[in-house]
Amino acid sequence: MTTIEIPQRRLETGYDNTAEDCISREPLVTGEATYHAVTKIVCATPEARRAPKIWYVCFTISLMLLCVLFLTIAYQVFTGVGVWGNNSPDAWGFDIINFVFWVGIAHAGTMISAILLMFRQRWRTGINRFAEATTVFSVLCAGIYPAIHVGRPWFAYWLLPYPNIMGDWPNFYSPLLWDALAVGTYSTFSFLFWYFGMVPDLATLRDRAKTRLRYTLYGVFALGWRGSARHWKIYDRGMIIMGGLACALVLAVSSTVSTDFAVSQIPGWHETIFPPYFTVGAIFSGFATVIALAIPARHLFGLKDLITERHMDNLGKLMLVLSSIVLYIYLIEFFTAYYSGNIYERFAYYNREFGPYWWMGWAMMFCNGVIPQALWFKKARTTWWLSLPIALLALFGMWTERFSIIVTSIHRDFLPSSWHMYSPTIIDIGMFAGSFGLFFTLFLLFCRFLPMVAMSEVKSILPQSHTHLPEECRNAE
Amino acid sequence: MSTYNPSMDAPIDQPTMYGLLAEFHDPQSLMNAANTLRKNGYYRWDCYTPFPVHGLDKVMGQRPSPLPVVVFTVATMGCIGMLALAWFCNAFDYPIIVSGKPFWGLGPHMFLAFPVTVLSSVITTFYATFIFCKLPIFRHPLFTSERFRRATDDGFFIAVEARDAKFDLKVTTELLNNAGALAVEEVRD
Repeated sequence: MTTIEIPQRRLETGYDNTAEDCISREPLVTGEATYHAVTKIVCATPEARRAPKIWYVCFTISLMLLCVLFLTIAYQVFTGVGVWGNNSPDAWGFDIINFVFWVGIAHAGTMISAILLMFRQRWRTGINRFAEATTVFSVLCAGIYPAIHVGRPWFAYWLLPYPNIMGDWPNFYSPLLWDALAVGTYSTFSFLFWYFGMVPDLATLRDRAKTRLRYTLYGVFALGWRGSARHWKIYDRGMIIMGGLACALVLAVSSTVSTDFAVSQIPGWHETIFPPYFTVGAIFSGFATVIALAIPARHLFGLKDLITERHMDNLGKLMLVLSSIVLYIYLIEFFTAYYSGNIYERFAYYNREFGPYWWMGWAMMFCNGVIPQALWFKKARTTWWLSLPIALLALFGMWTERFSIIVTSIHRDFLPSSWHMYSPTIIDIGMFAGSFGLFFTLFLLFCRFLPMVAMSEVKSILPQSHTHLPEECRNAE
Repeated sequence: MSTYNPSMDAPIDQPTMYGLLAEFHDPQSLMNAANTLRKNGYYRWDCYTPFPVHGLDKVMGQRPSPLPVVVFTVATMGCIGMLALAWFCNAFDYPIIVSGKPFWGLGPHMFLAFPVTVLSSVITTFYATFIFCKLPIFRHPLFTSERFRRATDDGFFIAVEARDAKFDLKVTTELLNNAGALAVEEVRD
């Protein structure tokens, strides 16, 4: 229990890891901070003969949900998109809500790895691998939806510009094409970035392997990495380049997704604030996911010395900043609608908070804008039983935000006779639940068999890694 | 149980000398030893560390890698290529009037050019990094050393290759020992 541990730690060491001034803090890695200790802590889980019991329970549930996903997709592909609850005027429903939801979650990994890398935030080394994994798996979950909502997925290649007998080409002005390209780029990027960063750590697992099978498997994926200084230099440069690209990409992906809506003429969608709105919301939900997954993981897999209270404190602060921006955007949207003087625009926003889906509108306001304000207090940031519910509520809030934007804007369109309530079918719900199955199956496998923390990066921030150049090299360039 | 070693499965052959492997206690002593080696005019040697030791490249006299130039070139080609494709498809080969929009517009096409730029740079960075490192390579003489296993854990090593012009078993061993090596061993291929 963290709540008991903080005062204990303070008594034992005289340090407070969440203090603002660095003198009263412990180093980033607490406990026995030697190189070998870091290796031992991180390799303990992949090398353990058995995972904690709770792992098997979670894995079984995830696998069952994964089966639900496969079954619902199969049913949908063989029957047609009519199995969903989408019906005019609700042309879009769960398919696009869940797509935007998962793309959003995918943002924290890149944010932590890339933007914090550029700002030289050394505390990110404890959580970046972890966050990147959430990115890779959630982009995969998001990618399912566009692939199947084209209706006839076996013709999905029609999106590509290839010479065909009809002599035509895709319309490059279509936001759906931008969307496919942005998400395709993002998934390729996040996978390569994640794997790229993991190569030296896979080599560590290879070198500690006790059986031929493990040696071969980890060895193949470690690509024969042997920690050569000449390699490290090139690799480091490659990492910085990827990080720099990611900074731009992370801001661009959700902006592109938002153009699916902003380019249309629907009140509630046709807004210039959408690109930053979607991006901030996405990063916010990503941080909520990282907090929600880091809390159980550091308890279960003994990572408390690498992911300390200070990490949780910093994550909480970032979440607070993002929540405040999200709240500001919610309020400015209402003001813009009021100030526009346009009756349709005003109605769309009135309907969002006081129409038949009022509870969705208020849930998004409270879960994303109001409740996370509790993170102003240090106790809420560093106590797991306070920050975990805040993070989970934020995730729920972000889902309701997408529901509000998408469904409440179209279910009451310009012609009252065509107004219609949207309700998802059992297939919609099964598919959504199944996507969690996919995410958690992959995530649990990652926790069990791959290094959850970037060992080589954590080692490079230990105090004893600091070196001085020999006298004669100091001025050489 | 001891760690698995691939040399257990390797066919017994006449081993040739690869070089000398010296272990050091910490990054600082490794850096000092690297400085000594370079001053003594050795060329074919390398340091092995569990994490990037900053400044080591300066001491070893490593030249900057051409990676950024390669990536920038490919990224530029990707960007221009995508814009050219959009122009060819929608403005030249098969112009379609969509809500009276112009056939060519840089603004909307940036939504395409940007991801393609990033995508081409990322893939180039990934492959070029490993190509410049001459990886993947699954068989290396150093992998036969049991001690070298710790290079990815907490060991700091210098390996001097036997094909270096200045290499001499006795002299080099002494040099490494004097530079503060904890242990020096011969590595055979």
